[in-house]
Amino acid sequence: MTLLKSAYQDLEDIVGPDYISDDPSIQDSYAFQWLAELVRPEQSHYMPRPVAVIMPASTEEVQAITMVCNKYHMKIKPISTGWYHWAGPIKDEDDTLQVDLRRMNRILEIDEKNMFAIVEPYVICAQLQAEVMKRGLNINIIGAGASTSIVASACAYAGMGPSTYWMGHNSDNVLGMEWVTPSGEIIRTGSLGSGDGWFCSEGPGPSIRGICRGFLGSRGGLGVYTKCAIKLSHWPGPKEFNVRGTLPAYRLPIHENFRVYTLAVPSWDAWADIYYKIYDNEIGYIFHRQFTLAGADLGPALWLILNDHTKTLNDIEEMVKRSDIKELTEELRISFQIILAGRSLRDIELQDKILDQVLAETGGWKVKRFCEDDMAEFTNVYLQRLGHKHLNFVWVGGYLGSWMQPGTPDFVKKYVPIAIKGLYRDAAGGLLVQCGGDALMGCGSTVAGGGWSGLEQFVSYDPADRESIKAGTKHMEDAITDAISNGIPPGKEAIYLSLGYKDEKIWDTLANSQQPIIFHFQRKIKEAFDPNDIGDRNYPTLPEDY
Amino acid sequence: MTLLNYRADALRCTRCSYCKWIPFDLMKSWRFSKGCPSVDYNHFHSYSAGGRLVTALSLLDNRIEVTDRVIDSVFKCQLCGSCDVTCKMCRFDMEPLSALRELRFKLVEEGHAVPKHKSVMEGFRTQNNMLNKVKTKRGDWADGLNLRDLSKDKAEIVFHAGCRYSYDNDLNHVAKASVSILQEAGVDFGILGKEENCCGGRAFNIGYKKDFVTAATKNIKDWTNAGVKTVVTPCADCYYTFKRLYPEIGSEIKVLHMVEFIDQLIKQGKLEFKNSVPMRVTYHDPCYLGRQGEPYIPWKGKEKKIFGQVVIYEPRKPRYNGANGIYEPPRNILRAIPGLELVEMERIKEAAWCCGAGGGVKEAYPDFFTWTANERIEEASSTGAEAIISACPWCERNFIDAMKEGDTNMKVFDVIELVYKAIRKEDF
Ligand code: SF4
Ligand code: SF4
Repeated sequence: MTLLKSAYQDLEDIVGPDYISDDPSIQDSYAFQWLAELVRPEQSHYMPRPVAVIMPASTEEVQAITMVCNKYHMKIKPISTGWYHWAGPIKDEDDTLQVDLRRMNRILEIDEKNMFAIVEPYVICAQLQAEVMKRGLNINIIGAGASTSIVASACAYAGMGPSTYWMGHNSDNVLGMEWVTPSGEIIRTGSLGSGDGWFCSEGPGPSIRGICRGFLGSRGGLGVYTKCAIKLSHWPGPKEFNVRGTLPAYRLPIHENFRVYTLAVPSWDAWADIYYKIYDNEIGYIFHRQFTLAGADLGPALWLILNDHTKTLNDIEEMVKRSDIKELTEELRISFQIILAGRSLRDIELQDKILDQVLAETGGWKVKRFCEDDMAEFTNVYLQRLGHKHLNFVWVGGYLGSWMQPGTPDFVKKYVPIAIKGLYRDAAGGLLVQCGGDALMGCGSTVAGGGWSGLEQFVSYDPADRESIKAGTKHMEDAITDAISNGIPPGKEAIYLSLGYKDEKIWDTLANSQQPIIFHFQRKIKEAFDPNDIGDRNYPTLPEDY
Repeated sequence: MTLLNYRADALRCTRCSYCKWIPFDLMKSWRFSKGCPSVDYNHFHSYSAGGRLVTALSLLDNRIEVTDRVIDSVFKCQLCGSCDVTCKMCRFDMEPLSALRELRFKLVEEGHAVPKHKSVMEGFRTQNNMLNKVKTKRGDWADGLNLRDLSKDKAEIVFHAGCRYSYDNDLNHVAKASVSILQEAGVDFGILGKEENCCGGRAFNIGYKKDFVTAATKNIKDWTNAGVKTVVTPCADCYYTFKRLYPEIGSEIKVLHMVEFIDQLIKQGKLEFKNSVPMRVTYHDPCYLGRQGEPYIPWKGKEKKIFGQVVIYEPRKPRYNGANGIYEPPRNILRAIPGLELVEMERIKEAAWCCGAGGGVKEAYPDFFTWTANERIEEASSTGAEAIISACPWCERNFIDAMKEGDTNMKVFDVIELVYKAIRKEDF
């Protein structure tokens, strides 16, 4: 795959020579993507190489680049912070231009009164949160954490996280988008499109959020989002994080209006019940099942290790043998985290009372060790900022998510035992990390106000070991089989795996899904906005004859 | 070690890009949220630690060849270590900074050194310093100070001025101030004067490992001959080199930075501050004293897997992640100086932004070092401080040079200068 000299020149004319490169080392650094090894031939860590990488600085430059891609029939693939194999080019046979948006990195406006911010694609959650907290406001940081692009989660993917329960998910919170379509048109959505500003995504003006998002967000497959406005939420905490402690165990002192708890329940039935009761009683600000990502067997010891900067993973073998850790591990087996935030001291006292009552009714408890000052302050900063999400990879550098089918807690609890059994089975041979079958992590609610949840099984494999990688791939295939044989649609792993499929296999899968009509609609949308097919198949469609 | 030893690190890099930022928990603003000068200035992913790991992997696997772009991306980096801190926030199985150094060794060994570094290294080999100055003039800064010459005499403590404080006429008053402070506190010490050698640390960092070993071996021999048990230096680069690199080749000599020594002297009541130094200042943590100034712990071992695939090391591997850098001694000193007000920047200690001078950038990439320094100066100015204080001559030189092109009134001092002002009436 090489770029025609004339195409390179056209692109260089747009951004200047410093902001485009087709050097193989630069190409490789964008081809190398997490999860590639699970789907690429020979467990290669590289997705296909882009023909070049280009860095625009403005919407107009993105538009001009898009026109060049149309002229030369190249795929266009934007990347902002980029943390998935689908952020790179997908098919070897395509010529793909990687558009790195890191120069578009400004917070354009924070409208305190109307509670929204306008950002470019390379503004990350941590940056915006730090700025809006100074004004008593907050943002929903998605589950992937503080390092992620707000535009990406709001405009091109799903955007749920621990605070979604209170603040909504980013695909709901987006109030207006600036979108360079694959045909090179600049579309401004909602009220912005009628010149009325960024306050409403549904108009007056074009309400095309559903078109852009489609089934699960276009993930770079349907043009480039160059700006968006994101709704901000009330923040009753301090204006600045005055973090203390020694890394990696940073700690955020708990504000008097806040409570930080790790809670546990005796059974998965009780787990579903307590979720409903929390929803119904409208308590809580951050609500997440987070610490189980490290596995129900090893997780408790790991979090204590992280909270003591003198310790390393070498300590874990001894720790899990200790009777106090064994007890703690059992105590935490079905656990989750909640942060209550009161608008006043009376408010927080009331929420506390309600929580105690909810615990009494469900047989739940506060996990004492994890509610002590050190762990609570660690939990506080961890969940408020989500700055440690690279811990997903803590065991050995490779993690994949399986399951995560969204639904009511009663629906979710049905697949929990299947997921647990599946991971114990698949890790038994030692090619995956044996951290406990329940490594299920997920939002307390994936919609504002509660009602809808989902749990993702965290499966760790060694990306430096081919056999371990193969075991990871096999686990995903097995999880699909497990789900289908139990009458449950496939989960997150199916999306991961599909990156490695031929088109025909994807079409077969989509045609056999619950609602194939979605993908026929998406074809029509694509035909309208992408007549030259320069977007890639991250925006999935079904051919007419399927 | 060879680059091959870091192949697993490259394969286990998740492209999370944490290495481009300061630790997220410490972020206080959009403006001062970045951690890696290299990627912030040069933009392409290859100019980050994660990107360089991909370059290393692609070279090892013969996917790419060494192009001008590869050389540029490998060497346009200060080796400041910010990436090492942020990567290890969540990882125990990664050594990005060591891998970046190893990548440089490989390129230099294969004849792909940066041309400007080559000429610096000619001076290093003939004149034993990194500034291409005449060897015999190295001790001139101490003329008339009547210091004990350890090339002829013996002492348990040697004061090692380093190349920059020895030769830089704008700065070598700091070396003079240092010895004056030591004398004031009654410390028995000597210097090697014109026989002092470059520590070799900057040569090491630009990829010339063998030259580093030659310099280190000579220094250790000279100190041993002079009966030296402790080396004290005002230079952060020298400090890191003596403390972290020399033990690898057999040195057992104790290493102290002047700020550590002064902090001890104050605590022991051996230094008394007589004068007020009314000034609002901010302190810049030098990378090689701060996050990279952690104590050396010997280790030789190998990776082992438990619980199926969890990576640990046998025996336990030391964890250099910036947790134990030298952060408090310089701050203790500044807080102890009467009249002085210390205000902190947003990015401090393990999260400090580099001055721009490290890793051979000062020698080869003037635009890049100037930009990096100006970023820091702007951050310092935002605190309302009138002076930026450091504990390294390379930082100070870099700030002074960068300021020539800006319009700031910010002053630059070494901690040692302020101590001198506080204990002596007269100026230098
Ligand atoms: S070097 Fe570390 S921090 Fe950087 S991308 Fe790789 S894993 Fe992430
Ligand atoms: S050492 Fe510093 S400049 Fe180099 S990659 Fe790491 S953070 Fe960037």
